[in-house]
Amino acid sequence: MNNFNRSKFVEFGLRFYILLSFGFVFAPIAASFVFSFNSDRFPSIPLGSFSTEWYQAVATDPLVWDGLRNTLFVGFIVSVVSTILGFGAAYTDFRYRFFGKSVYMALALLPPTIPVVIMGLAMLAYLSRINLSGQSISVIISHIVICSPFAMAITRLRLSQMDPDLEAAAWNLGASEWAAMRYVIVPFALPAIFGALFITMAVSFDEFAISWFVSGLNETLPVKVLGFLQGQVSPRINAIGTFVFVTSMTLVIIAQILLTRQMRDTNIVAKD
Amino acid sequence: MQNEPLVTFNGVIKKFGGFVAVQKLDLEIHKGEFLAIMGSSGCGKTTTLRMLAGLDAPTEGEIRLSGKPINDLPTWQRDTPMVWQSLALFPFLNVIENVEFALKMRGVGAKERRSRAENWLERMQISEFATRNIAQLSGGQRQRVALARSLVVEPEILLLDEPLSALDANLKVRMQSVLQGLQQELGITFVYVTHSQSEAFSMADRVVIMSKGVVEQVGTAQEIYRAPKTRFVAEFLGSSNIFSGKCDGNGNLETAVGKLHLPKAGTTQRKGQSATIVILDTRAHLSVTQPKGDVDFVRANVIGEEFTGATATIYLEAEDGSELRVQKDHETLAALPINVGQSLYVSWQPNETHLIPDV
Amino acid sequence: MRKRITLYSLTFSLPLLLWQLVFFVFPLAFLVALSFWTVKNFRMEPAFDTINWVTMYGRSVFWQSYGLTLALAAGASVLTSILAFPCSFAIAFKLTPKMRQLAIFMMVIPFFTSYLVRVYSWQIFLSDNGIINGLLGLTGLEPIGMLNTVFATMIGYLTLCFPLVVLLQLFSLMFIDRTLIEAAHNLRCGRLRTVFEVVIPSARVGLVVAALFAFILSFGDFVSPVYLGGGDPTTLSILITDTTKSGQQWPRAAVIALTMIGTLLAVAFAAISFAYKGRGK
Repeated sequence: MNNFNRSKFVEFGLRFYILLSFGFVFAPIAASFVFSFNSDRFPSIPLGSFSTEWYQAVATDPLVWDGLRNTLFVGFIVSVVSTILGFGAAYTDFRYRFFGKSVYMALALLPPTIPVVIMGLAMLAYLSRINLSGQSISVIISHIVICSPFAMAITRLRLSQMDPDLEAAAWNLGASEWAAMRYVIVPFALPAIFGALFITMAVSFDEFAISWFVSGLNETLPVKVLGFLQGQVSPRINAIGTFVFVTSMTLVIIAQILLTRQMRDTNIVAKD
Repeated sequence: MQNEPLVTFNGVIKKFGGFVAVQKLDLEIHKGEFLAIMGSSGCGKTTTLRMLAGLDAPTEGEIRLSGKPINDLPTWQRDTPMVWQSLALFPFLNVIENVEFALKMRGVGAKERRSRAENWLERMQISEFATRNIAQLSGGQRQRVALARSLVVEPEILLLDEPLSALDANLKVRMQSVLQGLQQELGITFVYVTHSQSEAFSMADRVVIMSKGVVEQVGTAQEIYRAPKTRFVAEFLGSSNIFSGKCDGNGNLETAVGKLHLPKAGTTQRKGQSATIVILDTRAHLSVTQPKGDVDFVRANVIGEEFTGATATIYLEAEDGSELRVQKDHETLAALPINVGQSLYVSWQPNETHLIPDV
Repeated sequence: MRKRITLYSLTFSLPLLLWQLVFFVFPLAFLVALSFWTVKNFRMEPAFDTINWVTMYGRSVFWQSYGLTLALAAGASVLTSILAFPCSFAIAFKLTPKMRQLAIFMMVIPFFTSYLVRVYSWQIFLSDNGIINGLLGLTGLEPIGMLNTVFATMIGYLTLCFPLVVLLQLFSLMFIDRTLIEAAHNLRCGRLRTVFEVVIPSARVGLVVAALFAFILSFGDFVSPVYLGGGDPTTLSILITDTTKSGQQWPRAAVIALTMIGTLLAVAFAAISFAYKGRGK
């Protein structure tokens, strides 16, 4: 046995496995894209001819537009509020030590780990008790609960890259706490703040289960998709799906570019 | 009162939970002096500086600046700018914006701000980098930006927390003279915290040596080096020929390595009183045969040597385990058999020793 | 020291705290109360009655679902961990830093990209007239019924968990000291053996946490078992949606939800203590 050759084989195998993994992860996204332009009613191979009829069908469906409007409205408010709440919590964790901090941190980070069906049921029961269910506001409230932890994590990561003396240096130079926040903390965390805006919007944009429980008539787009799924198979879902993929991928890619750029900036500073 | 100190620490204590960082500090800092606070990490030197800057509040005691108590004044209302060990330059601002920061916080108008900042950039010889990013500067240039940023408000006192520790040796020396020159030119007070003897002794008018939250000695470099007040200071300065024992009342000290003479200044020591004597490593001699005449000596085995440029330091160990050190030029050493395990005599003139009486 | 509780500190700390108290803790607490309410004539009434617990726990269907859900989630957790490991291992050790960055970038995208639509797309692959059977047909083989099987459900769980598990495993593998591996090789530990003797033990915490997340996600998921598994047999999550959406049996749904939370807490606790077992301070 030649050890050297065997290692080559293993190296190749592992790299191939990475490709295979990405193939598995992106196959459904690619399929949705391909079949959204396929003329056949039942998606299979061989492919039919190129067609945009499913996009036309979707574009002329007022229900889809309603869903989209709701989604965007909800997503916008959710991302802004979650980012503000998450920023506050991240700064609190960065700056302060206090009694019961671990409980505070648990509240700030746990919500996304609770299964969505349970969150959905709990929110539905609770919000209808306080007369807030079945409206867009119910979706907004629930989404902020699960989105702010993402905003918190992203901002916290950024703050941990900050020289801890920076804020004190600002005070030392005559900045009050508020001024230091405005002129030092916020500018430093800005890429993360934008990253958090995009990521939380993507999370809200894709969330369907809790929305499905609490939204009532004001359904968001993913809830509509859920509704379609319960009906028959239709390539229209591929068209909507492709739209959903493209939108959330765009949001996530922008967020990631922002966040990796900030890392690179910090690395330059740290290298000297 | 003509010679009123700029800063007074009055019985200042700082505790972090159960840990006492600074114990009952009484210290006066004069107008226009360059004061260095020196000690190993955890000795309380940085805490002292941070209390002066208003970043940590004293647990007990009072700090006065220009006669006024400042305990309750938040840091942003004091004019005690600091140069940080990490420099803490704002990475999202360029050079001139960094320098303008303190003026902006004081509500100085944009035009005046710019011209005052430019003035300081010029003074620090970094005008050409005004619009550069901090990340694009070298270590020395950043140092100058940090100085300009703190000095732009023209304070009476500047606090420096190990600002040179990240620089390489050559740059360090160059920045030392920049700092010294600046201090003399401005005539303001510098309080400089460092763990480096060479930085403290080469720049400061007075040096404060701290250990475990306590001030061990305050004085000029000469005073401290020639006459360390405590065994700690002697050890901290790197002296290693240190012998403690009890006086016999006849001008001798009974130590673990034998009976040694006390210097003349110490012959008045009472019998039974404990004391320590220190022999500088440059004042000790080595010989193969037992030295004659009116000298003290200790027999010790060579454990190693270290070359430091023109001289070398020989490390020896006496029979009782105490460590000795002798510094000699290479010519002198060439005549001696310096091998590990070689037994030699370390000798010195009794009057060249320094006595530390125990309190 | 300056006062700890200032307007400034409260401005940043309080909003999230209040929000999560009112809209996260309260709803979950309300779920506990709800599980003791009664339903009469399709109307819920506040009460303190253990009837819902007795009813649900008395049904063999419930326990079947419970066992099935537990088995499926455990299976998904193990399967995902095993399938993800070579991928995260290869990304951590076989790629250049730049390629690794890209791989992480690519793995983050699907984590935030509609799971629901991805599951739907799997139907295109797996259905009787779908892509895979179409390919089989081209080679002259008989079609295989894949949709509405446990296999399809597992594909769905993998879709849900795989990217996250790879990322979590990756983050623990990336921080292994490379010299440990070289030292192992140097001490005549073979390649594969080094993986089991050095790499896996070093990354244990991350690997266990990744598996735990796969378990949590699969345990609570209702999309895969419904749309890929065909909804039969019923998992707990399906049971909750059915009980909630059809009629006013919310108190019973609450019983299921609380049982799920209890199970997840127990599993999480067990997993974390296993992950840190034998670790010094």
